[in-house]
Amino acid sequence: MTITRFVPDLARRGFLLAMLAFFLLPFLWLATTAYKPSVEIFSIPPHFGFTPTFDQFAKVFLVFDIWRLIAVSMLIAGCSAFFSLLLGVPAGYALARSRHPLAMGIAYFFMAVRMIPAVAALIPFYLMMRDIGLIGSWISVVLINCMLNSAFVSWMMFSYFRSLPPELEEAALTDGCHQFAAFWRVALPAVRSGVIASTLFCVLFSWNDFLYPMFLTKLDSKPISVALLSAYGTKDITWGTLGALAHFSTIPIVLIVLFLNRYFVQGLTRGIH
Amino acid sequence: MSHPAKDGRRVTDISSSAEAGGPFAWRQLVSLPQSFADRRRLFLVAMTIPAVIYVIAIGIVPLARGIWYSFFDYNLLRPARAHFVGLGNYLDLFSDPDMAEALKNTVLFTVSGVTFQLVLGLAIALALWRDDRFNRICLTLILIPVTITPLVVGLIFKGLLLADYGLVGYYLAQWGLSAPQGLLASPSTALGTLVFIDVWEWTPLMALILLAGLKALPGDVLEAAAADGATPLQRLRLVVLPLMLPSVMLALTIRTVDAFRVFDSVFVTTGGGPGNATNTLMVYAVKEGLSFFNVGKASAIANIALLCTAVIAAAFVLLIRRADKKANGR
Repeated sequence: MTITRFVPDLARRGFLLAMLAFFLLPFLWLATTAYKPSVEIFSIPPHFGFTPTFDQFAKVFLVFDIWRLIAVSMLIAGCSAFFSLLLGVPAGYALARSRHPLAMGIAYFFMAVRMIPAVAALIPFYLMMRDIGLIGSWISVVLINCMLNSAFVSWMMFSYFRSLPPELEEAALTDGCHQFAAFWRVALPAVRSGVIASTLFCVLFSWNDFLYPMFLTKLDSKPISVALLSAYGTKDITWGTLGALAHFSTIPIVLIVLFLNRYFVQGLTRGIH
Repeated sequence: MSHPAKDGRRVTDISSSAEAGGPFAWRQLVSLPQSFADRRRLFLVAMTIPAVIYVIAIGIVPLARGIWYSFFDYNLLRPARAHFVGLGNYLDLFSDPDMAEALKNTVLFTVSGVTFQLVLGLAIALALWRDDRFNRICLTLILIPVTITPLVVGLIFKGLLLADYGLVGYYLAQWGLSAPQGLLASPSTALGTLVFIDVWEWTPLMALILLAGLKALPGDVLEAAAADGATPLQRLRLVVLPLMLPSVMLALTIRTVDAFRVFDSVFVTTGGGPGNATNTLMVYAVKEGLSFFNVGKASAIANIALLCTAVIAAAFVLLIRRADKKANGR
């Protein structure tokens, strides 16, 4: 490498490392507060170094019913992902294969649903759930999450199926394959990465959502995201407790995304086009 | 279940005598379409309908009811006194200083946030352009803020910026760089700080979309520009940017629509305060609707936000079409 290329390359890497620090340090701060003793969190002047302790975790287990919160979050994320895929994947397939002019319009309709401000749907949806007695139940959260997620999955799978050449299925159909079998056995396996990405986004969305559960669930049906919010503001709960709580709410999802990074990046760039 | 088709796609053997009394007799009973094209159409419709019905029932019906509510003076605390006021709620909002403030804050937040994200995101995308190991690892790690829920992002920065014992806020206050009560608690800096938080969380997404656009650029055009002796800056301005205009527009659309409906991070960090300094449309609607139970007014605010979002999205779609034509037309 000549010097004329080496210097810009060094500058480029330096810039990226600075950006990495900028984007990662705040998150690392939250993760490390979990291991700080409360005294050091409130020390003045504040400092970064500390003597590690697990006190904060003990406190989290004392104050919160962690396993219950996680179970509710998993239930909501799991159910809404399952039903969103059940509704969205076939719709995406059919819209991609249909030559009817309406198909494109429906696909864009699904994309537009993604842009609805959550609050605009929240108040009437709240009243609807009140009327049928589902306020306070995690089921109402699944219902609304499913609506947003199935529209998103339809749109994303539409774009995946559209880039899949239909010849393969046509050959299967000609061979006397049932239409559903052509979808299930031929087309679906070919877009496996799209299904993984869709699942990832459904889980990510439901797990991270707090607006709907905050207003739709009550004390014994709230997920961990709502607990996180209520953790802040209570007197005996410090940033350390919050950091410890984040170990259960945030860090698992970050690790899952890092592990499935290929699908995450692919989905982000494909799903929004 | 499969029918061996002798003549390609036209599977017409359903009515054959062998099957008439067999397991497929129900097909005659409900007289399903017989030609392949018709059955194909029916199949595709049947695959789409459940999702469409579900989204309409759970998504569009509430939105329509929200429009309906916005024409009523309807408070949940005294539902019996609800009455039709026509456009009354909207007319009230026109002369409501809180609404003007919320609209101003939302527009300011959106425009400044998205601008910073575009500039920084473009710089990061250009730095990440070359496909090597270092860049791949950087891209993976840099996307972490996108996966963290806005709720936690808000809490992180609230904690860091606390003036009394926050790791950053304490020193800012000590050195006189922020008001003594902290950046988020001071009316003059609160909105700017929220913009900063939004930039922190969403710049990586912006960078990713732009990077995808960069990687899709035709290599021969870039090589030709380099061979012509254009400086890197000239190449960027005259070749790269015009060619990737569609993906810039796409990134702008997504981020503008999302920033306009910001709720989580504002709600967690300032709750719209201090005073009204960071009140956005969504925060205002939630406060009216679910704290004061003023459903009519809250629905009107939410509908104005919905209308704004639709207009922004439509404007961008038109611009993208034009940019696409330009980029492909050369």
